[in-house]
Amino acid sequence: MTSPTSTLPGAPAGASHPAPAPAEAGGAAPGSRGDAAPVLVAENLTKSYGTVHAVRDVSLACLGGEVHALVGENGAGKSTVAKMLAGAVVPDTGAVRVGGQALSSGSVRTARRHGVQCAFQELALVPDWTVAENLCLPDGSSLRRFARGRETRDAERVLAALDLEHIDPRRPVHEMPLADRQQVEIARAVSGDVKVLILDEASSALTPPGVEWLFARIRELTARGAAVVYVSHRLGEIREIADRGTVLRDGAVVSDFQRGSWTDDELISSMAGRTAARAFPAPPELRTSDAPAALEVEGLSGEAVHDVALTVAPGEILGVGGLQGHGQAELLRSLWGAEPATARTWKVAGRAIRRLDPVRAVHAGIGFVPEDRKREGLALELGVGENLLAPWVKPHQRGGAPRLKREKGWIDEVLGGLSVRTRGAKERSGALSGGNQQKLVFGRWVGRDRKLVLLHDPTRGIDVRAKQELYDAIVALAREGVGVVWFSTEVEELVHVCHRVVVLYRGAVADELQGERLTADAVVGAAVGRKVAA
Amino acid sequence: MSAPAIPLGARFRRSPGLVGLKREGAIAPVLAFVLFFVIYVAINPELLTRFQLQTAANLVAPLALVALAQLLIVLVGGIDISVAAVMSLTNVVFATQLESASPVVAGVLAVAVGMGCGLFNGLLSAYGRLPVIAVTLASSFIFGALATEVLDRPGGAVSEGVTLATSGELAPYVPVALVWVLVAAALLWLLLQKTSLGRHIYGAGSNAEGMRAAGLNARAAQLTAFVLAGGLVALGAILLAGSTATGDPKSGDPYLLNAIAAVALAGASFTGGKGSVVGTICAAAILGLVGNVLFFAGVDSYWQYVVGSVIIVAVVGIPVIVRRLGVRLKGASA
Repeated sequence: MTSPTSTLPGAPAGASHPAPAPAEAGGAAPGSRGDAAPVLVAENLTKSYGTVHAVRDVSLACLGGEVHALVGENGAGKSTVAKMLAGAVVPDTGAVRVGGQALSSGSVRTARRHGVQCAFQELALVPDWTVAENLCLPDGSSLRRFARGRETRDAERVLAALDLEHIDPRRPVHEMPLADRQQVEIARAVSGDVKVLILDEASSALTPPGVEWLFARIRELTARGAAVVYVSHRLGEIREIADRGTVLRDGAVVSDFQRGSWTDDELISSMAGRTAARAFPAPPELRTSDAPAALEVEGLSGEAVHDVALTVAPGEILGVGGLQGHGQAELLRSLWGAEPATARTWKVAGRAIRRLDPVRAVHAGIGFVPEDRKREGLALELGVGENLLAPWVKPHQRGGAPRLKREKGWIDEVLGGLSVRTRGAKERSGALSGGNQQKLVFGRWVGRDRKLVLLHDPTRGIDVRAKQELYDAIVALAREGVGVVWFSTEVEELVHVCHRVVVLYRGAVADELQGERLTADAVVGAAVGRKVAA
Repeated sequence: MSAPAIPLGARFRRSPGLVGLKREGAIAPVLAFVLFFVIYVAINPELLTRFQLQTAANLVAPLALVALAQLLIVLVGGIDISVAAVMSLTNVVFATQLESASPVVAGVLAVAVGMGCGLFNGLLSAYGRLPVIAVTLASSFIFGALATEVLDRPGGAVSEGVTLATSGELAPYVPVALVWVLVAAALLWLLLQKTSLGRHIYGAGSNAEGMRAAGLNARAAQLTAFVLAGGLVALGAILLAGSTATGDPKSGDPYLLNAIAAVALAGASFTGGKGSVVGTICAAAILGLVGNVLFFAGVDSYWQYVVGSVIIVAVVGIPVIVRRLGVRLKGASA
């Protein structure tokens, strides 16, 4: 019950797989919990990419009927471990056994035939296929007739059995909101023959009801004796669902834990290798001033938002909540000029906006952190410094070459201020971990005289430490008088770090919450279209 | 018969065929073809005579087949530079084989050679993981050289029977070439839309990485697309040999850019995963006949490329503009 660091002592080479302690800390799923033989065993998995040891000698044993959590910071190697278990990555050494049988070479297909199903954070769906095609298309290409009607009915049955009636099997996946796509990916994994289910950050885009839905599916599977490997950053989810877990750091196992025997602080310090208090920074005190509002917009309408009015004072952090797909993404993109929209009044720092596109937005003093850092945020092949400078390159000067030398002071300041872990301004941005990439996208706007910075769920899928550092950076930005509009799928962030939160429902503002009314329940309530009385 | 509950117009708009065409970006090229056809007939009513229909079909058929081949490669996310060379090679193979073999044997041989070329491209692209454009550029020189090796100047032995079978008339007002194209297109459409292999071809261009992560075989689908494309090009080459009554080691050259243009005009996505068989046929027909229309309208024939380009830009661009205007109007009225 004390410290969770019942550490496998570095798991030196030759250590066989750790036999999990038979003593169960109660509360395990009903059903086959006495199964002594683990369903899934990983033995001494090692994987290097070039000179980087992504995973070193990791051994795991997952029991049937249990949820085994895999936690660690970004870059700790948990995703690589999950992919090796799922057959998507071939380990350099070591083996994966399912029900005592070794899975041969890394292939998702063979793993699936052995009952190992997986859902990844980077969606393994084909965007131009319909939901039905993604769910039901047979394994292996063949001339077998693809009967649309039958396949659609099969998909409908699968979706209905999983409580996903809101998803239309005829729709192409790319037309659906991210949260629905993630549910389709999970549905595909759980609808097959499941002995082992591997979920790699599969809840990262899900809203709280979506997570509840996922947990219900997990409990159904564990009740039938399946083993579940659950990779997540969200400690709250791990507390609720995990029977036991393994902490990874720098590619190696540092500790194991069991249900109920750990605290957030213990787990975080075990992950980070230091003691870290998980605390949301409070938003800075709002000073009353006669400076014009950072953003004032009235009657904003576009393809997916209707008649939205927002005001953000300088130094204010305005949270935007709601279920995915209710117009938050479009709202932010409209305010950035990346999506067409009209408004009756539209002012940034007191100056009226007539026409807006991203270039004009930068001139108007706006900054934007987009949804997908890899696709929209960064040029992954370019250097860290070049990416930071991207909005500040003037194409007509020096052929548009970024002035790395002249801007060195600012670059170092941003990299230092945000604790970006990089080998320097010249390092390829794609080589950075997700959290550090996100800091680059954010860091562009630091110390650059911004009036308004728009954030699209910047902490999605990044580790606890990076999250903490981003919170601090957002608060620091606001303290300098920048107005912040922050859409987040994590309700706790909105409740703790924002001054005020507007909740969107079907493209319109359903509720505005601040002070005592700003609670997680109120945000979630408004998100599903129900107002909570104050 | 009871009256339909939903108004006919709405039912039509929601019919699966139309939704499918819309998703594949094929509405605009189909409409453009109808408009183009009307203009053509208005300028030159003679088109609807037996002789002119046949000539027009012979002009369009090879391009339509090569464009369908290009569509397959574009669907899996590439651009095939070698279609012209494969066309020349299969064209001369067909024409020279006719000197000694029966037309059926020569035809089968030409298609096999075309598929072999596709296999070569496909293995290097899908399994060798080399960029499609580099592979097909290199192979286009190889296949081009082979074509000259087989036959170094226009010749071969295309008999009258072959010409009739590829570019004559099946029945009054029914050109054989058109029948060949429609049969090939129908088979291809069935394959792409109604079999899992076809959906895999779309998927391989849409998200090959995701398909692999889901345990599906994207590479096999890519390879199949290349092989099929080689076969289609060979079929186009056979029709061309028939209608020109010769084999020519340079005969494929004009078809490369026109085939790419037809796929673009058909609204396909050059990043893969999106494109329509019906749209491609319509686009090939427009591009193949622009020259004729201009001739009958009394415009110099070299203007055909300019007009063709304007049509491409208009057909691809108008839907985009309509969409933008729609948002603006909707926003203003809200």
